[in-house]
Amino acid sequence: MIKVRGKDYPWRKGMTVADLLKEIGDLYPYAVVRINEKAISKPHFETTLVPDNSEVYLIPMIAGG
Amino acid sequence: MAELKSKTIKTLAYRKPVIEKGYTNQSLYVNLSKSEISIKPVTEKIKEVFVGGRGFDLWLMWNAVKGATKWNDPENEVCISCGPLAGTPIYPGAGKSIVTAISPTTGSVMDSNVGGHFGPYLKFSGFDALEIQGKASGETVLLIDGIEGKIELLEVSGLPDSSYDLSIALTEYFGRGKPQNISLVSTGPGAKNTLIGCLNFTWYDLRRGRARYKQAGRGGIGTVFADKGIKALVARYNTVGVASNHPADEAELKEVGKLHTHEILELDPKQNEMARIGTTHLVTIMNDYDLLPTHNFRYGQHPQAANIGAEVYRRLFDKGFDGCWIGCTVACSHGIKDFVPMTGPYRGVKVFVDGPEYETIAGCGSNLGIFDPYTVTEINFYCDTYGIDTISFGTGLAFAMECFEMGLINKIHTGGLDLSFGNRISAMEILHQMATGKGFGNIVGQGIRKMKEIFSKEYGADLKIMQDIGMEAKGLEFSEYMTKESLAQQGGYGLSLKGPQHDEAWLIFLDMVHNYMPTFEQKAEALHWFPMFRTWFGLCGLCKLPWNDIVPEDNAETLEPAKILKHVEWYARFFSAVTGRKSRPDDLITMSEAVYNFQRLFNLKMGFGRREHDAIPYRAAGPVTVEEYESRKERYDKQLVEKHGVDITGKSTEEKVKILRRLREEMYEKLKDAVYKRRGWTPEGIPKVATVKRLKIDFPAVLELLKANGVTE
Repeated sequence: MIKVRGKDYPWRKGMTVADLLKEIGDLYPYAVVRINEKAISKPHFETTLVPDNSEVYLIPMIAGG
Repeated sequence: MAELKSKTIKTLAYRKPVIEKGYTNQSLYVNLSKSEISIKPVTEKIKEVFVGGRGFDLWLMWNAVKGATKWNDPENEVCISCGPLAGTPIYPGAGKSIVTAISPTTGSVMDSNVGGHFGPYLKFSGFDALEIQGKASGETVLLIDGIEGKIELLEVSGLPDSSYDLSIALTEYFGRGKPQNISLVSTGPGAKNTLIGCLNFTWYDLRRGRARYKQAGRGGIGTVFADKGIKALVARYNTVGVASNHPADEAELKEVGKLHTHEILELDPKQNEMARIGTTHLVTIMNDYDLLPTHNFRYGQHPQAANIGAEVYRRLFDKGFDGCWIGCTVACSHGIKDFVPMTGPYRGVKVFVDGPEYETIAGCGSNLGIFDPYTVTEINFYCDTYGIDTISFGTGLAFAMECFEMGLINKIHTGGLDLSFGNRISAMEILHQMATGKGFGNIVGQGIRKMKEIFSKEYGADLKIMQDIGMEAKGLEFSEYMTKESLAQQGGYGLSLKGPQHDEAWLIFLDMVHNYMPTFEQKAEALHWFPMFRTWFGLCGLCKLPWNDIVPEDNAETLEPAKILKHVEWYARFFSAVTGRKSRPDDLITMSEAVYNFQRLFNLKMGFGRREHDAIPYRAAGPVTVEEYESRKERYDKQLVEKHGVDITGKSTEEKVKILRRLREEMYEKLKDAVYKRRGWTPEGIPKVATVKRLKIDFPAVLELLKANGVTE
């Protein structure tokens, strides 16, 4: 089980960040997702695995400056 | 440290005015040459047009300097103002000061915003703005004592040179057992010996029992300050509360302040964790998107970037509240306790380092090819205590390093220093030289524009290539974002008023990553709205981080997510509640437009502010060298073929570099046309008469200036 934005979500082995976003059906073009304390940028969504028991935060905006 | 001794030069006792709706309705004028202290009224008209903060500073400076005034002329001023909303302890980020001066590196008016308690303490002591003119004959301290109602010009001896020790000493001296009542502004020896000096504004950290500081870094205002012979400005004030501004509607202020405060408390831990890691989260994200300046902006990525990223600084930062203003829940001003420098006068001494933030990490780390968090921290510490802007230091030294690697300069010029990228020892040595004004550090400390001149005239270096790779515009060094793949951000930097600083517009993700603005008109619209809204923060004494670095959870469902309209609404309510001037979001933009256009006209008055001055070095727009092109060959080849319809068959890389350059430079000129049109400017980039009339800045001197520049409609 993982938490996505504070809500429980079933985890499966091999689940990538890209898979997770597709599964939850959130179509917003996130540039960054945070897994626990680590920021994952979109170029790495396809290759980053979501670990079991992790907390996932969808970062709505990177505003910079 | 020697015992402090002070001698009073001049004293003015005054009665503190009642603050009305965020304003004291008066400003403080100090002439150091004449030892004159006086109080000037702030009129309703000035409040209506210029609002406060940067607006007030610009108006005072416009009246103080001539078009021919140079940065080190006595009539140049350092102005500080915080704005009507500043000093509100229940609204996040409401303690900013804005500083202006004629800059030593740009020759025109410079503005820089900074945290710390000085601006609010100045206002609550009775002054909406402070203007300092003239030059002191000795080392002078200006005390604004809002508790006792007196202004004093003091000659103080026995003061340390470093801003770090000076902040500690003067906080103790003037604090009289209550150091939290003191905020001071100072700089260090590097500001005197370079042109890229910064100012340190303190806030007292009660839990840690020490004076902390934030920097007004850009454009060498610290150098102007040092040239005037000011050692420090001290503001003394005691209790700050929500009623201190005497807001027009205190209940509404409390309501909207609570909304924003609670949202940040709830969402920051789920988003960028700024209260824990500041802006350091940006390092690896920028790196992932090829946006982290590396080796003088040649590249945007480096395999070692994570060594200087948030995961490292998360462990190094001292835990605890780090708000540079009372009650700010973003609280991003983190620092490192018990840091021990390996070089320089503090070698082996445990110090507290305020920082680093993203800009310092990128500028003094990756852009120099340095991926060691401790060296970055040490550069941060010495830049602050020497009074040197970390951004100009990093971008300036990166330019010198590339010139060294290209063979444009060599060890004969650098005094034997190996300035190749990644040389941490040489980087530290250059910084220490800046503090004394000796060695090659003295030349790097003049900034890139002057370095290009010196390297060309005295060392015979190729000026053309240096124009391409020297990352300055208008004389100011670029802050730390790659813009090659974002035309909108090229405009965000190049079309900004003071030079390439990201506080006007940061459009890289909207443009490059999300492609929200594919047309020139859409980019121009963004380059209108965002600089105007960001300017508004500087008029009111606010930090922009609470606006768009913590985002409402339902923001994605709004019509224009990038504007964070829910927060813009809150800011309009905040402004209305304090000033009583009922305002809607669009009104905030109009307020800023007046000041923004006035500053553009100020540039014109100083001999700048035309289309030619909005030029950027080609490296900001595309690959200068074959090596850069080859490193992202697939990207550039694809763009030439698919975006521009170029047949690249059989073309050498040199040929492709030239074609791409021509196309990108044409696009930048088209962007200028679109932006000038949207802003109501002539094709030369000058505000039209109709624009200044609409914005009520059609003062006689403004109309005369326009006429003298051929603008009559």
